Amino acid sequence: MNLIAKALKDGIQKSGVNPAMISMPSDIPFSQEVTRELGVDFFQTTRGRAIAFGTGLKLSNPALKVMPVAGDLMTLGGNHLVHGGRRNMELCVIVVNHFVYHTIAGKNAPPMTSAFSPYSTFEEPFNFPHLGNSCGAVFTARWTALHTDDLGQSIATALNKRGLSLVEIIAPGPNYYAGIEHLDEQLLKFYREQSEVKNGEDPRHVAIAPDKKIIVGNFTDKERPTFIDQYNMQLGKVLGEKFTPHGVIDKEPLPGGKIG
Amino acid sequence: MKADPKGVLTGTHELTGNEACAEGAFAAGCRFLGLYPIVPSVEISERYLERAPEIGATFIQMEDEVSALAAVLGASWTGKRSMTVTSGSGLSLMMEHLGLGIMLETPCVIVDVQSMGPGLGLPTRASQGDVMQARWGSHGDYEVIALAPSSPQEMFDYTIKAFNFSERYRIPAVVLSDAYIARLKEKVVIPAANKIELEPRRYYNGAPGTYLPYKRDKDYVPRMVDIGKGYRFHVTGLTHDDRGYPIMFEECQEYNVHPLMWKIRKYVDDIVEFQESQIDDADVVVVAYGVTARAAHSAVEKARAAGVKAGVLKLTTVWPFPEKRIATLAKKAKAFVVPEMNFGQIVSEVERCSYGEANVFFVAHGDTGIEDPENILSAIQEASRTQKVQSGVVEYRGA
Repeated sequence: MNLIAKALKDGIQKSGVNPAMISMPSDIPFSQEVTRELGVDFFQTTRGRAIAFGTGLKLSNPALKVMPVAGDLMTLGGNHLVHGGRRNMELCVIVVNHFVYHTIAGKNAPPMTSAFSPYSTFEEPFNFPHLGNSCGAVFTARWTALHTDDLGQSIATALNKRGLSLVEIIAPGPNYYAGIEHLDEQLLKFYREQSEVKNGEDPRHVAIAPDKKIIVGNFTDKERPTFIDQYNMQLGKVLGEKFTPHGVIDKEPLPGGKIG
Repeated sequence: MKADPKGVLTGTHELTGNEACAEGAFAAGCRFLGLYPIVPSVEISERYLERAPEIGATFIQMEDEVSALAAVLGASWTGKRSMTVTSGSGLSLMMEHLGLGIMLETPCVIVDVQSMGPGLGLPTRASQGDVMQARWGSHGDYEVIALAPSSPQEMFDYTIKAFNFSERYRIPAVVLSDAYIARLKEKVVIPAANKIELEPRRYYNGAPGTYLPYKRDKDYVPRMVDIGKGYRFHVTGLTHDDRGYPIMFEECQEYNVHPLMWKIRKYVDDIVEFQESQIDDADVVVVAYGVTARAAHSAVEKARAAGVKAGVLKLTTVWPFPEKRIATLAKKAKAFVVPEMNFGQIVSEVERCSYGEANVFFVAHGDTGIEDPENILSAIQEASRTQKVQSGVVEYRGA
């Protein structure tokens, strides 16, 4: 978690955004030191619903930068990501992927069993960047928590994108392995060693599979009108001069584009 | 604080309950609606969406009721009065976020236009089946404030009341309407903006860095700040201390959760509202709320004409329940008659609060259509014939 906090801090600094304008709805509890250091307004909400909570924040005060940090995103919160992407709500979504990969590039990870997976993991993981891209996200990236510089840079880019951006961080959950000394560090190193940087790769080809390296990098980078752009355009079209556009219009609405 | 004239459609109108609810929300300063459409609450959103742009309000149709209430909670922290509207299974989906709203102490309003359940039920028809869910539906210990309107005018008034309660006590407030009130069209008088009194949000005005999100005033209600103002706060749905950081100890649970109850329980007398008619000499008191209160009034008129001393206690706030008033009336009256459009919810509260001092007759109503005053009348007549007893005997009629 400390690595992720460091990357978030780094990303916020590099983005040039005033941290006071960032609000961070999350389903992960952050320690007092972390949020104080980040200097953001922090909400720990219900499991998986950070994007939904963030949608209210952003729409209600468009001057805010909203940065949902999610752990249960693709379980409880799957539908919120799908619809957040479709709407292109201006959210910088950070998803911490705790999925336990026991085999990567043909190599076995350090032994990992837990109360939740006594037989190790056998389900296939999500391909987050592909999923985000298909739903309409304007920016997708994936890094392991040990790629601190690259991760920070991606978070900075994501914060300045207009629309929904998705940054996946591969990191083992520290609480999971609390019983086994240094296992999370061993795992992190293993993930980092078994990863390969491929910036600009088609997100369709970055699925994590036992026989392949973990592809990391910045994948999607495109532009689409945001929800608030579309809201203003459509209501303006119907209501004409009677309508005052909602929010801070600091840039021209982006040209239309297709999802996916 | 007076209402913003921009949202107040002053004048005399013919409005349905649902339309009056939207107007009440605008008058109360509601500027954000997060919704997922569900019959029979849709006309509230229709009216809201139609008028929102001219008033400067925003809205969003979310992907489900879970996210609708989540977005409303978020919007409320930006300083905007926010609400969601729903019905039946939508309220069931909102329960987790009702709990979050209680724990984060976020003011907002949930309008629940009750229809028939359980499951998908009969969504186009009215019921009063969500009364207990509104009170106990989310896990853990908490208090809520819920209001039950019985006319479009009350729909307007109580929506404003709900916003005022939610800001005063930092709590999600529920309006328990039903499909009949939703569609009933009646005269609604909307006063001038300067005649509508609104409860202002209680803000913390100290310097950034000194703000403690859950440091309570004497009345147990903490102060708020808007996000993005540099206060850099942390709030959590986990058990927390004054600083809003999770502290996972039993002592903190007690420190954190008890005030959530105290801030309502100690002020019950300020919150509880009811309307009484012909109650002073009544042998039989009909306790009713929502659309059923209309039938109750009609039944009581007929009972009086037939020489039975009956009266009506109409609940404005269903929650908190007027415990003291019921206990006092139980000592005076022979019996209570409780008609409800369900198979017994508020009747159990009446039984509880009468402490065995009066008989309680329940008039169950599970089929479609408004309660027939004749059913209530026959229960009143039966109740008036009973002798005063020591222990309460409940007779379930029609159930």
